[in-house]
Amino acid sequence: MKSHILKAAQGLAMLSALLLILLSGGAVAKESALPFGIREYDIGQAPNFELADIDGEMFNLESTRGRWVFLHFWASWCGPCREEMPTIQALSENIDEDKLHFVLVNAAEDEDTIFKFLGIVAPNLTSMMDMDGQITEIWKPRGLPTTFLIDPEGRVRYQAVGGRDWHEKVYTEFIKSLLTY
Amino acid sequence: MLSLIFSAALAAQTTAPLAVVKEQLTIEFAPRTPEQMASFYEARGFPETMRDILKKQCFITVGITNTSQQKIWLNLADWKFSVNGQAIKREHREQWKQRWQAMDIPLRYQSTFRWTLIPETLDYLPGEHEGGNLVLPFSKGKITLDATFATGDNKQGEPIHIHYDQLYCAEDAQ
Repeated sequence: MKSHILKAAQGLAMLSALLLILLSGGAVAKESALPFGIREYDIGQAPNFELADIDGEMFNLESTRGRWVFLHFWASWCGPCREEMPTIQALSENIDEDKLHFVLVNAAEDEDTIFKFLGIVAPNLTSMMDMDGQITEIWKPRGLPTTFLIDPEGRVRYQAVGGRDWHEKVYTEFIKSLLTY
Repeated sequence: MLSLIFSAALAAQTTAPLAVVKEQLTIEFAPRTPEQMASFYEARGFPETMRDILKKQCFITVGITNTSQQKIWLNLADWKFSVNGQAIKREHREQWKQRWQAMDIPLRYQSTFRWTLIPETLDYLPGEHEGGNLVLPFSKGKITLDATFATGDNKQGEPIHIHYDQLYCAEDAQ
């Protein structure tokens, strides 16, 4: 009887320790402490997709495992997208690409439109082409633009809706804080 | 869901915005003329059959900002429109989807159209601004909107009621 109680207590202690590890080991940031416009968004594993970029190179989301992913949905007709895109480029130039992979997905526009837009607004970025809009439908961003932050295990952790200056200190530091885990 | 789509192209052609300002939220309305909308969709390559239908609708771009310290819930099912006391039925985005599917409209245009609509439901965090196009059947005269928003994390807060009777469908200049 005594040994059963001891085993149960040991089990409970292990469970508590495991919970503690899980809670502290992930990219934990309390909602209230998040920069404006960024929400916790734990929907589990990121739905995988495969798309071509504007150069015809195929990309598979699962190939990014081991790094955080900045997954950004946009369209050229969306005003905030136009304002935000140069700040994404600026962020990407200040982040270690081995730790954070930038994946842009254009929602249902053609290659010429994407090419012209990026050429003017953010020439150093490239974008995947979701030409029929169906990947965007699966991901269901709340609006355009929307950014999802996916952790190195492929789990969606945060959602950022609407445009913002990603190059602002508060956002840059938030992103960098994720990469330390 | 063009939450955010206040596209530069559209913004440049906007008629004077209308607004409801409450302590907890602000709602801005910008009626769009059929010509503005046709131009917008034509520039995106929408087929003529689709544009012909859209030209006959009443487009109003809506922007909602949560100016309170609690969560506010948009649910278009709680928005009632009327003209001279007669209810106007707004088509749900699913009805639009079915229509486009029946017309065999390419998926990319269906998708873009959906992105330009205001979401059917959405929760707004304090300070958040989102919007999109509301599509109503075209009607003459002032449109009255009676809307209710739930509030609080679990929608248990005091609801916000809006009554606004200055909406209208913009028409092309003669």
